[in-house]
Amino acid sequence: MFLASALFVILTIPKARADSTTSREYQLKAAFLYNFIMFIDWPEEKTSDCNGPIIIGVIGNDPFGDAFEPVKNKKVKGNNVVIERFKGLEELKESSEKGFQQHPQIEAIRKCHVLFVCSSEKKWIREIINLLEGDGILTVGDIEGFLEAGGTINFVMEDKKVRFEINVTAVKRAKLKIRSQLLRLAKRVVEEKSSDGEKS
Amino acid sequence: MSSRGDVLTGKFIFVLMLLVLFGSDARLLAEQQDANNKKDFFEMSIEELMEVPIVVSASRLPTRLQYLSAPVTVITAEDIHYSGLTTIPEILQFSPGVDVRRLDRQRYIVGVRGLFGIYSDRTLVLIDGRAVTIPIYGTTHWENLPVLMEDIERIEIVRGPVGASWGANAFTGAINIITKKPNQCLGGLVSTTVNEFGDTFTHLRYGHTQGQWSWKVSAGYEDVEDSDAAGAGKYTSGVPALNTLMGFDSFKARDWGRFWKFDTQAEYRVNEQTRWSFGAAHSSGQEGDFEFIGVYPRRDILTEYTRMFGRLDHQFDEDTSAYIQWFGNYLDNHRRVITDRTTHLQNDLEAQINFKPADNHTASVGGNVRWDRISAHNNSSTNEFMFDRGEYNEYWTGLFLIDRWAVTERFTLEGQLRLDHYSATTTDWSNRFTALYALDEQQNHVVRASFARAFRSPTVAVRRGSSSYLQAPVVGGLFVTQPHAGNTLDNEGTYSFEAGYTGRLAENLSLNVDTYYQRMERLIGVRSVTDPATTVTTSTFNNVNGADSWGAETSLAWQYKTVKISAWYAYNDLVTDEFAQITRSMSPSQHKAGLNSRWYLDKDWTFNTNYVFQNGKRMYATVVKDLSSFNRLDLTLSRKFAEGKGELIVGVSDVLNETTDPVTDTGYLTALETPGRMFFIRLQLRF
Repeated sequence: MFLASALFVILTIPKARADSTTSREYQLKAAFLYNFIMFIDWPEEKTSDCNGPIIIGVIGNDPFGDAFEPVKNKKVKGNNVVIERFKGLEELKESSEKGFQQHPQIEAIRKCHVLFVCSSEKKWIREIINLLEGDGILTVGDIEGFLEAGGTINFVMEDKKVRFEINVTAVKRAKLKIRSQLLRLAKRVVEEKSSDGEKS
Repeated sequence: MSSRGDVLTGKFIFVLMLLVLFGSDARLLAEQQDANNKKDFFEMSIEELMEVPIVVSASRLPTRLQYLSAPVTVITAEDIHYSGLTTIPEILQFSPGVDVRRLDRQRYIVGVRGLFGIYSDRTLVLIDGRAVTIPIYGTTHWENLPVLMEDIERIEIVRGPVGASWGANAFTGAINIITKKPNQCLGGLVSTTVNEFGDTFTHLRYGHTQGQWSWKVSAGYEDVEDSDAAGAGKYTSGVPALNTLMGFDSFKARDWGRFWKFDTQAEYRVNEQTRWSFGAAHSSGQEGDFEFIGVYPRRDILTEYTRMFGRLDHQFDEDTSAYIQWFGNYLDNHRRVITDRTTHLQNDLEAQINFKPADNHTASVGGNVRWDRISAHNNSSTNEFMFDRGEYNEYWTGLFLIDRWAVTERFTLEGQLRLDHYSATTTDWSNRFTALYALDEQQNHVVRASFARAFRSPTVAVRRGSSSYLQAPVVGGLFVTQPHAGNTLDNEGTYSFEAGYTGRLAENLSLNVDTYYQRMERLIGVRSVTDPATTVTTSTFNNVNGADSWGAETSLAWQYKTVKISAWYAYNDLVTDEFAQITRSMSPSQHKAGLNSRWYLDKDWTFNTNYVFQNGKRMYATVVKDLSSFNRLDLTLSRKFAEGKGELIVGVSDVLNETTDPVTDTGYLTALETPGRMFFIRLQLRF
């Protein structure tokens, strides 16, 4: 009787609705981006201004919503953390009268320490990576094939948990140093071969 | 007086009313309070974000599970939640190498790798690294701990001696209950559980963060009916010859309990480097009493237990961090079955600094000073356990040094060394040396070899207490319990050799194997001598003799998409040097096996199973006490609603109804049959 009553109640409860606000996934990914800063050493030219902020950029259709709100009052390595959002590459190209590489937003992107490439930029990943090569930017995405396209860190979901994979060749190309602790936590560490393919 | 059925019906209707009341408004609440319910992920480390198990109990340093210097099982908050269980010992029994037996509806005996009993503190129990075990009797009052199940972040069970990290009494292992920090439980929680016997467990919590402050307040009430009311409660006697004298035939189960519990914690983040945290917890309990050495006064047990702490954490730089902490425990215990009133005041001040003394080294240095003030108010009744007159103080100071040296990318050495001085006993030391080697470059396969030494300090009761009465004939003569002459009991000592393997066999498949041999010396027990002239048998607490312990624990965990399954088997054996040697504790069940699974059926439905088998064992004490074999299977089905803000769990524990057999612990002449199979329902709302 007890069990039957309990089952009746549990079965008649209204079904849950889908999430409406910023998803937990992107709240978590925002915190990962913030955490990555602690495991990366940038080249000197990127850290010459000791008091300058550490900039996390988001390019494309921003899925984070207000997920970065708590960062406003936080410091990492003694520096403030600033979030900057940028239009997608296609839109930037369309709005550029001269060559889009001189677009002020591209200039601002080059100043970022971390750049999250949104899935809306899937078609433009290689172009974005090539554009920023040598600028000392940690490029992060959550797009299949992001590492193969030259990205540095890619998020993957595994059983509702956020995991990440790292392209160490891209790390070197961006003149970054990555701590072994982060490498150990990666689900997959990819090293590009000089000519073809990769090993992981 | 209401019948058991009336009580049950009333409580069940109460839960249904709550469901109707809150269920209709839950969606609204969920939407209104969504902002408050967000976790502050930015306060979490990357390991925490990844939900990578990080363990602190093996070496006081946060360390990944694969690289631990001692074998550790972690019970997560999710494991606790979906088990539907309402007590800590019940969830512990589903872990490898842990022996758990239920004495009655309130009291459990728990031990890692054996030698467990209600007065055996050979497994150290901690909450957030702070002592729990009461040093007077060496008892952990599980039912009185002011911690609520939903407030537990994880439980770390360390198997093997870890005295080098925690000091005395981490002899066969340690159990560290890690509670959720305020920023891990923002928003509100209402949870109530009722079972078919009419027991209720209610928990309210609210956590909030504002500016640099975050805090949480938890309150709970637990009401457990006695075994008689739950359809069991039949006493059995270990010594039929004493039945008349003890009034055995008139015994009634009085193992009911009512407990109020409160726990509050606050954190103040001064800046990115500095954090203060404070906490105060209290439990107020009233229980029926039980027989002890033939005494059964039928007076309720009243226990007030308060725990407080203050802690300052500071990060000096990337590699250097430190904390200083004070904690105080205060116990006021009226337990007429043992002594009229016992109070215990404990103050502990400890500090630890973590730093990098050289490349590839991570070190921790620290120590503590502890003051225990004990008083027992005897009322001169002859039926009491007597202590030395007056109040007295005991002091403990400890110093530890831990160094972890990454010799190469794949080879790590860890050394732990600790020195402890006890004012009432002696100075002693502990260590643990471990070598860890990764068999492959990806470090998916890690082997471990360890040597450890630890000790156990004799409890106050066996050093300064005595039973004040004569007992009727047990074996041919009168039985008198007396303290050890001259208060000169030595510490128990132990050392162990261990080897283990932790491996990731495939993407979602992991395997752990741990083996050990442990030698124990100078085990404190009871030595009985019969005077042939008077036929009086005198029993004294003594360092009787040693024991050998050996075994292996292995677990296989598989996780694929929406299914998590772990299977384990433990072989734990222990043989004392003397036949029928009394250690005032029980040996481990030799064979233990378990199977735990969780099925996330869809976004809202979760099915959980926990199974454990423990085989029987013959125990030799004053009388032979057998532990029976049992299989236990628990099932729960959970459904979330209102966007996950509401949850209903229905379950049945001990489906097979095999845990009813009486368990006679050390010092008891009787045991009580307890109810086994139990249906329950839980409603939980978050806002």
